[in-house]
Amino acid sequence: MTKNIIEAMNINKIFNLGMENELHILKDMNLEIDRGSFIAIVGPSGSGKTTLLDILGCLLKPTSGEVLIDGVITNELNDNELAHIRRDKIGFVFQQYNLISSQTALENVELPMRIAGVHRKDSRRRAEKLLRTVGLGERMYHRPPHLSGGEQQRVAIARSLANRPRIIMGDEPTGNLDSKTGKDILDLLKRLNKEENYTIIVVTHDLRIKKYAKRIINLRDGRII
Amino acid sequence: MLDLAYKNIMRQRTRTILTALGILIGIGAIVALGSIAEGIDTMVQSGLELTAGKITVMEKDAGFFGVMGELTDEDMEVIEGIGGIREIVPMLFYMENMIPMQGPEWTAIGIDPSKGEYFIGENAEMEDGRMIEEGESGVVVLGYTIANRYNTEVGDFWTIKEDDFEIVGVIEKTDISDIDTSIIVDFDDLMDVTDSDTYQMIYVIPDDIKDTERIAENIEDASERLDAMTTKEMARQAGEIVDQIRIFTFAIGAIAALVGGLGVMNTMIMAVMERRREIGVMKAIGATNRMVLTQILTESALISLIGGIGGIILGVIGSFFVSSIFGGGQITAVVTPMLALTGLLFALLLGVVGGFYPARKASKLDPVEALRYE
Repeated sequence: MTKNIIEAMNINKIFNLGMENELHILKDMNLEIDRGSFIAIVGPSGSGKTTLLDILGCLLKPTSGEVLIDGVITNELNDNELAHIRRDKIGFVFQQYNLISSQTALENVELPMRIAGVHRKDSRRRAEKLLRTVGLGERMYHRPPHLSGGEQQRVAIARSLANRPRIIMGDEPTGNLDSKTGKDILDLLKRLNKEENYTIIVVTHDLRIKKYAKRIINLRDGRII
Repeated sequence: MLDLAYKNIMRQRTRTILTALGILIGIGAIVALGSIAEGIDTMVQSGLELTAGKITVMEKDAGFFGVMGELTDEDMEVIEGIGGIREIVPMLFYMENMIPMQGPEWTAIGIDPSKGEYFIGENAEMEDGRMIEEGESGVVVLGYTIANRYNTEVGDFWTIKEDDFEIVGVIEKTDISDIDTSIIVDFDDLMDVTDSDTYQMIYVIPDDIKDTERIAENIEDASERLDAMTTKEMARQAGEIVDQIRIFTFAIGAIAALVGGLGVMNTMIMAVMERRREIGVMKAIGATNRMVLTQILTESALISLIGGIGGIILGVIGSFFVSSIFGGGQITAVVTPMLALTGLLFALLLGVVGGFYPARKASKLDPVEALRYE
């Protein structure tokens, strides 16, 4: 087992390469993330935070450079193999929650397991357990429109844990929540980090993050400062 | 993922039902129209039983059932000159009030009473009364269906042209449409009444059934005017015609169904657009392109399949109407399992083909863009 859960070497991301509106978002970035750490990526808008998270989350390929996830070099992987990395090693939590509104909380949490081909009985049992872990044992059969923002984000966190990933990535996970609920979500992430040793990486504007994260990565104009 | 597909299409219930309705109408048309072809097939097959072991001689290029051909006594003489023949049975058909698309109101068949068995079969029993006797004139025997339809019985009179004929017998039900719906008259009587000197068909019965093909060839060699068909040959020709009808009816229905298929495509394109974000989420949490493709295809196939099943039900109902409109009761439209299966498979095909473009589009969606799509 490699020491670092994530290693990024010399990554560059250029959008619209070679065109008039070329955008150099990430510049020669190097980054190592320890297993079990809690990382916050901060910086002004346009500094490349989200792009960095997308690349580390295997949603986006860098223009150049190398990204290792849990020891696997992701550059050469095709769409299918990247999907498998996302499925098995990474859990996503988004600012907009991004739950499937026609499905109950329970079904939403089951979804990644169904994608992974987990037996229906096992996926149901695990989804129930995860929803109880995030404090939604009583609301499993509610659909997202009938849940509050904080509750939806808890469902999203439960969903991100479904396939027992190594890393939880959050893109502004508290951005749509009031201050009290936002704090609850950060507490939940901290607890998962401490008690179950998940590596947590969040992109955020939330200033309270300083109290939670073990390490703050400051971005400015596509570079770490 | 079938439960997911079902849930997804039911999110837009009205749209899904309307889309399925488009398929339903097309498949309904395929099944209802196709049932006519199957009905004709059944009728033709039963008609072929009549000609087993016989050679049917008609004028070359005459209509399929000898409707228009004109044979004369000279043709009879030509056939008589060929060896190996046991019996030659000339037959005259008179069709009352021919209605296009529906056929005649009824058909009278003139045949020598002593040779009547070659038409109605040796084992046919009388429901009531008796057959026409040799040399007897001015009498008719009715098929079972025609007697029932006109509510006539032995002792009543039947008018052909201007002459009244006494009904002396009704043949029992044979399930062979040509017999059940015909009126059998003495050959000479019918020739007189209709003022004809030609007739449409001659049955030739060989001495030895093994010689059937050879004698048919000899007849055609002996006269350029004549077309001699064995049961095998007639079956082949009838099969060709029925196949053409099948293709034609399928084509009409298929056009309607194709429009339904476009509806499926349209609906799925809209669904993919509406659910961009959701598809992005699916991919972010690990769904492969192929899974997304399969998911969308399953949904479109499901809509089509619902339409297809509805279409078969509509087709079965429609086939009853079709029976009463076409063929004047002579054709019983039937929905065969094969026809139903064809309808269902065609619906499925439309769903998959119509769903393919939107499914492919969905599978190629960039998750990063799709996730942040407002």
